[in-house]
Amino acid sequence: MTLTVLLLLPFVGALLTFIAGKMKASLAFWLAEVIGLILFAATLILFSSYTEPIVVNITWFSFGHNTLPFGIYIDHLSLVMLLIATGLGALDIHFAHDYMKEDPDQARYYAKVLFFIGGMILLVTAKELTALFVGWEFMGLASYLLISFWHQNSAPADAGVSAFLYTRFGDIFLFAALGLLFYYTGTLDLQKINALASNGAIDSGVSFVIAIFIFVAAIGKSGQFPLFPWLMRAMEGPTTVSALIHGATMVNSGIYIVARMFDFYVAADALVIVAAVASLSAFIGASSALVQSEIKKVLAYSTMSHLSLAFIGLGVGSLAAGMTHLTNHAVFKALLFLGAGAVIMSAHHTKDLWKFGGAYKMLTLVAIFMGIGALSLSGIPPLSGYFSKDAILVDSLVNPQTNGLISTLTIIAGLLSIAYIGRLWVLIFAGKPRDKALNEKMTTPSKFWISLPLGIMALVTIVLGFFQTPLAEYITGEAFEEVHLAYFAPLLLGTMALIAFVIYKFYLANTEARDKLAAQPLMKALHQLLFNGYYVERMITWFAKSVVVGFVARTIAWLEHHVVDGAVNATVGLSSAIVARLSQTHSHRISNQAGAMMLGALLIISILLIKGL
Amino acid sequence: MGALYLIFLPIFLALPLYLLGRNFGVVKYIALTLFVYMLTQSVALYGQLPEAGYLDLGSYLSVPAFDFVLSLQVDRLSVIMLLLTSVMLILVGLSSWRMKMEDAYFALLVFFSGAIFGVFMSTNFLWFFIFWELTLIPMYFLVGIWGAEGRIYAAVKFFLYTHVASMLILLAFFLIYKQSGTFDMTMVKESMLMTPALIWWLMFVGFAVKMPLFPFHTWLPDAHVQAPAPVSALLAGVLLKMGAYAMIRMVILMMPEQAAAYGWVILSVGLVSLFFAGFMALHESHLKKMVAYSSISHMGLVAIAISTLSFDGLSAALFEMIGHAFIISPLFLIAGFIHHRTGSWQMGDMGGLMQRAPYLSALFVLSGLAALGLPGTMGFIGEITILISTIQAHGVWMIIILLGSMLAAGYLIYSFRRVIYGEMSPLIRESDFSMPKMEFLSLLLFGLLIIVFGLYPQPLFEMINQAFQSYFSAGGLS
Repeated sequence: MTLTVLLLLPFVGALLTFIAGKMKASLAFWLAEVIGLILFAATLILFSSYTEPIVVNITWFSFGHNTLPFGIYIDHLSLVMLLIATGLGALDIHFAHDYMKEDPDQARYYAKVLFFIGGMILLVTAKELTALFVGWEFMGLASYLLISFWHQNSAPADAGVSAFLYTRFGDIFLFAALGLLFYYTGTLDLQKINALASNGAIDSGVSFVIAIFIFVAAIGKSGQFPLFPWLMRAMEGPTTVSALIHGATMVNSGIYIVARMFDFYVAADALVIVAAVASLSAFIGASSALVQSEIKKVLAYSTMSHLSLAFIGLGVGSLAAGMTHLTNHAVFKALLFLGAGAVIMSAHHTKDLWKFGGAYKMLTLVAIFMGIGALSLSGIPPLSGYFSKDAILVDSLVNPQTNGLISTLTIIAGLLSIAYIGRLWVLIFAGKPRDKALNEKMTTPSKFWISLPLGIMALVTIVLGFFQTPLAEYITGEAFEEVHLAYFAPLLLGTMALIAFVIYKFYLANTEARDKLAAQPLMKALHQLLFNGYYVERMITWFAKSVVVGFVARTIAWLEHHVVDGAVNATVGLSSAIVARLSQTHSHRISNQAGAMMLGALLIISILLIKGL
Repeated sequence: MGALYLIFLPIFLALPLYLLGRNFGVVKYIALTLFVYMLTQSVALYGQLPEAGYLDLGSYLSVPAFDFVLSLQVDRLSVIMLLLTSVMLILVGLSSWRMKMEDAYFALLVFFSGAIFGVFMSTNFLWFFIFWELTLIPMYFLVGIWGAEGRIYAAVKFFLYTHVASMLILLAFFLIYKQSGTFDMTMVKESMLMTPALIWWLMFVGFAVKMPLFPFHTWLPDAHVQAPAPVSALLAGVLLKMGAYAMIRMVILMMPEQAAAYGWVILSVGLVSLFFAGFMALHESHLKKMVAYSSISHMGLVAIAISTLSFDGLSAALFEMIGHAFIISPLFLIAGFIHHRTGSWQMGDMGGLMQRAPYLSALFVLSGLAALGLPGTMGFIGEITILISTIQAHGVWMIIILLGSMLAAGYLIYSFRRVIYGEMSPLIRESDFSMPKMEFLSLLLFGLLIIVFGLYPQPLFEMINQAFQSYFSAGGLS
């Protein structure tokens, strides 16, 4: 019963919300809020009554000799993901009451949000790859529709296109992996696949290829290098949607699938690839976040970098580190995004960081809560982010496969996070207003609709810090041993303090030195490189536009018109030419006809003669 | 006699219906009633079918000296085609509700319905051919009279292609008769034929033109562009399926050994169609041509599934055929509607349709998403079954067919961007998009079919599985 509600209510609810919202706009919010709370309550019931994994076998359909299943499987890992999705989802809906207040399309908005959450629920409760893939694609669709929610403008519409196409590119690899797994193992059941891989029943080369395919899909969904540009473009959507994508649902799914198939990855020996790609992404994300001028883009690059840390956690072989970091990140990133939403809303949709400053006065609560999120993100003890980040850094150093370039990139990325998030907070809240007019226009957001959800998330961020070991043990089911390098923590904290001091100096105390430094040509070039996300998007766009569309498709079109179709037209031309020649013989001039007759008679006679009569 | 009525009542009714009914404006009502009646009769036929093999519906017009008997027999495969055809006829009828010169138009549709039922019901090669050709007559007029400016070129091309193809098919049928002594397709076995390879090739090329497969596909974009939207839907939803049906029935099931020998031909032609047409769709800025190439690309997928020659693959192929009918038809209808109201085919002239016609746009997005194989729609079920069955038959490299679905995502999502999303273009702003009720109803029904069978394909697969089971359990085919 609880399970049915959890799986079907989002979709049925989305439909109802849409219909109700079309009749009366305010109905959409209330219905969505109630449904969001019911979903969270259902998850809590499952969570508290959990004794052993819930397994429901469902057959979807059979064709020919094959049967495709659509089962449900819920264990601790799924429950954690469910709590994240429904809990943060409900808070997000609550926050949207004010954020989307003036939008005329509320029915459409809340229906899509519920559909989005439903996709995530489907994904994390899937027993087989079929249901997982359906949930995976539902989320791709929902993110496309929500990112281009303000479809009447070009920028969100373009952002939707890139979100769909980037993730779709990854998705076809997951689809291929599904086909390959079904062919090689005869099953799509994730637990069985894990078991088969652990027993060595799958050829290691095959499982390596499949693991990489699945990881490509995860790269697309979780915005890792090189498929990350959509994540930054996605900032064109409503900020509540960004919080949903970056905190509660979409981007977590890539990490979830690797975690879900963790044994498979271990057996396939593919984890080091995961760690390598992720460390590169972590560095790219963290360094690009340093120079962004838009609030949401800083957070988007930070998401990319932090998801990479979670991937590195998995990649160095620690399921616990990866998943706890994912959980912590989900909460504090949703907090930061919604906080940014509150700032943007009270500043009348200004997103440019350089126009803010000194917003602390008007937005005291928001500043405090965002501060807690920022501290957690930077990895300051005793907040949640510290523990998981520390564990990942240490694990990457301890693992001989990743100790070296991967661990170095990881540490740099980890350290840079305090720089970019510190810069963000300082530029918005501290100091004096840069744009006086804007500052005067700013309003204080509602306590109940805006500050309450932020407060809850801040509280969870603090509390989670004290429950890291139980959380890790809950997810992995094994005793969790914290690994620490004795010299490591003080060194790390020392460096962080140094970076914090530099940020303070540069963005508050001595802005002249900063501007002078930024004016150097080398720094300018570096700034451009980072600002544009290492030009990855430009390269991919160039490839898609100039190579695929401009060259391949154009060549094919030329072939179609000149060779394939040309052959047909030539046939028509040839036959009409023959007809034209033949019709000349049918003229009315007696002499011609007589001549033809004579010719024919001669021909017949000669043939007869040759044949010998 | 009932079966005979299903074919000849519409064919002979068409002209008197037009002459007598046109003054009262009742032709379309009668036509629609007739299509619904044909649907109920098809359902009834399905209920009477034996577990395996054919249901004999009688033989007529026997001429002792010559095997010209009109023998009507149906098996599960043909009844599934009858069901698909009658559903398509009803929906296309609804979407043609406000056609110019509606009486003549609906009379031609009625004629067409009889002829196409004849194709699926007759098991005599000669009669099959006669009905096959008869379907072209109403089609020719539907394109020629209600078509757009450039219809002459399209009609000539259509004529040239289909008639050359028909000649090949007829030649194959006569060779079969000469070598086996019968025109009855249920009696002909591959072993009776002396030149099976030649016959196989003649039929393969003949039917490939109809499907259409590369390189015989170029008639289709032109014909589609000139045809009025509902006729395009009929063309894609019914006429192309005739080719695929004949391909399965004669090229595969009747001649399994030749099919096994030349399976790679079907596979490669299917693959080339999939990618070639996919890239063409990506290149097109002409809305309807894009849909037309998308249609060809998906028929390539059907051919790939057929090339497996396996129970699984043929089931997947038949499902994809049905899915294709329900997915491509609304795309054609919506493209035609937009053109009808704006006067433009160029996607560059459009944009912001969502603001003018949200429900129409939503249905366009739904059908487009189904065409790119999004889960929850029929397109996904077709793709996953084809993927699994082709990997089993041809090996793991068949995952390359997924690149075709990436191409589909490219051109469809990009077309949404250009037509539906973004700022409103002047053309869209100035045009009237109020949708007539019947047209909207038909689009809505297409959308429902796409979703219902996409979420719960089991009933359809039960029918499909039974249709092929008899061929594979009896031996011969693996």
